[in-house]
Amino acid sequence: MTSPTTQFAPPSRMSMYEPLHQMPLWDNAFDGNISSGTGVCVMTEMDTKVDDKIEYTSDKSLEHTEDTRASKSVSEKIQRRLEQNREAARKSRLRKKAYVQQLETSRLKLAQLELELERARQQGLLISGASSSTIGLCGGTVNSGIAAFEMEYSHWIEEQERNISNLRTVLQSPIGDAELQRVVENILNHYCNLFRMKRDAARADAFYLVSGMWKTSLERFFLWIGGFKPSELIGVVMPQLEPLTDEQNVNIFNLRHSCMQAEDALTQGMEKLQQTLAQSITFLVVGAGNCNAQTAAALEKLESLEGFIHQADHLREQTLQQMSRILTTRQAAKGLLAFGEYFARLRALSSLWTGRCPREPG
Amino acid sequence: MRKALELLAAAGEDGDQDGGIMRKVVAENAVVIFARNGCCMCHVVKLLLHGHGVSPTVVDVDELNEVKLAGELTEMIGGEEGPGSAAAMQFPAVFVGGELFGGLEEIMGAHISGELVPKLREARALWL
Repeated sequence: MTSPTTQFAPPSRMSMYEPLHQMPLWDNAFDGNISSGTGVCVMTEMDTKVDDKIEYTSDKSLEHTEDTRASKSVSEKIQRRLEQNREAARKSRLRKKAYVQQLETSRLKLAQLELELERARQQGLLISGASSSTIGLCGGTVNSGIAAFEMEYSHWIEEQERNISNLRTVLQSPIGDAELQRVVENILNHYCNLFRMKRDAARADAFYLVSGMWKTSLERFFLWIGGFKPSELIGVVMPQLEPLTDEQNVNIFNLRHSCMQAEDALTQGMEKLQQTLAQSITFLVVGAGNCNAQTAAALEKLESLEGFIHQADHLREQTLQQMSRILTTRQAAKGLLAFGEYFARLRALSSLWTGRCPREPG
Repeated sequence: MRKALELLAAAGEDGDQDGGIMRKVVAENAVVIFARNGCCMCHVVKLLLHGHGVSPTVVDVDELNEVKLAGELTEMIGGEEGPGSAAAMQFPAVFVGGELFGGLEEIMGAHISGELVPKLREARALWL
C-alpha cells in the first residue's frame, strides 16, 4: 500500500489548517475552545493517519526508486491517494463550516429569545405594578392585543420572506406582465395587511406602535412614527429602477418631494402634540385622582397618537400605490424586490449586532 | 392664514346659531377647515395646505358647539343629521370649493396622488 512521501505531506497538512486561520471570528467566538470542536478533532485524526503512513512508507519508497515501471504505478497511486486525501480534507472543512454556522444561528436565536424574555418581563412588571388603577386595567388589555400582534407579525415576516424569495425567482424567469402584475399586487396587499394589523395594535397600545417595539434594534434606529420613512424608501429603491423615462424621473422626483412635505407636516404635528401634552402635564393636579378635567384632557390628547400612527401608515400605503402607478410592472417588481431585500438585510445586520460576542476587556 | 368666524362659532353658546352662516362660509371661501381648538391633526392639515400656497379659513370648533356644528355640516352635505347617521362628521373637516373634501386622510391621499393641486386650482384657492 502506497502513500504520500514525506515531501508531499507538508502542503496537504497546511491546506487543512488554512481555514482555521482564515476565520478569526470563530476563534474569538469560542474563546480558543475551537480545538475541542468536532471538526478539528476529525482533522487531527486525519492528520495523524497521514503522518503514520508517511513514516511507514518512507523507507519503502527509497527501495523502489530505481524500478521506473513500479515507480510509475507508485506515482499514480500516490496521485490517487493525494486526491482522496484532498477530497476528504475538503469534506471535513465543509462539515466543520456547516457545524459552526449552525452554532452561530443558535447563538443569535438565543440572544433574540433573551431579549424577548426581557421585554415580556418588563411588560409583566408594568401590569403587576399598576393593577389597582384604571391605567393598570388598560395595561392588562394592552398585553393581549400586543401579544397577538407580535405573533401575527412573526407570521407576516415569514410570509414576506417567502414572497420576496418568490419574486426574485419570478423576475429571473420569462414571466408575462399579467402574471407579474398579480405577484406585485400580492406583495402590495401584504403590506396593506401589515398596516391593518398595526392599526388594531395601536388601539391596544399606541406607544408600543410609535416606538416600533416589535422591530429589530437597527430598524428602530431608522424609525419614523412606527415605521419606515416613505421618502427614504424612494431613495433606496430608485437606483434599482434604471433606466427610467424622463417622465418617470419627474414623477418620482415629485412623489419624493410630496412625501417629504407630508412627513414634515406629520412630524411637526407630533411635536405640537408633545408640546401641548407637556403643558397639560405641568397643569395636572397631582394626587387628585383620575377624575378631574385636566387629567381627562391630557388623556384625550394621548388618544390622538393613534391617529398619527394611522396617518403615517396611510402615507406609506399611498406612496407604495403611487410608485406602482408611476412604474411599469417589471420596474415595480424590481422596486418591491429591492425594498424587501433592503429590510431583510437590515434585520439580518441587526441580528448580527445583537448576537455578536462582547469584546474582551484589555 | 385667515382665522375667521370664531365669534360665529362662539355664538353657538347662545343656542341660536344660524346654520345658514356655515353654509355661507363654506360657499364663499375656497378652502375651509373646521377643527377643534389646539387639535394637532388640524395643524398637519394647515401645514400641508400652506405648502401649496393656500390660505385656508379656519373655523374653531369647541366642545360646546361641536355636536351642533357636526349636525349642521352633515345636513349641509346632504347626509342625515343625528347620532344614527352613517358617516359621522369628524374633525378636522376640510371643505374645498364649497364641498366636503374630507379629513387629513383624504387631503394626504390627494397630496400624494397629485390630485390635490388641480382641485385647489378649480376652487380658485391657488394664485398661480
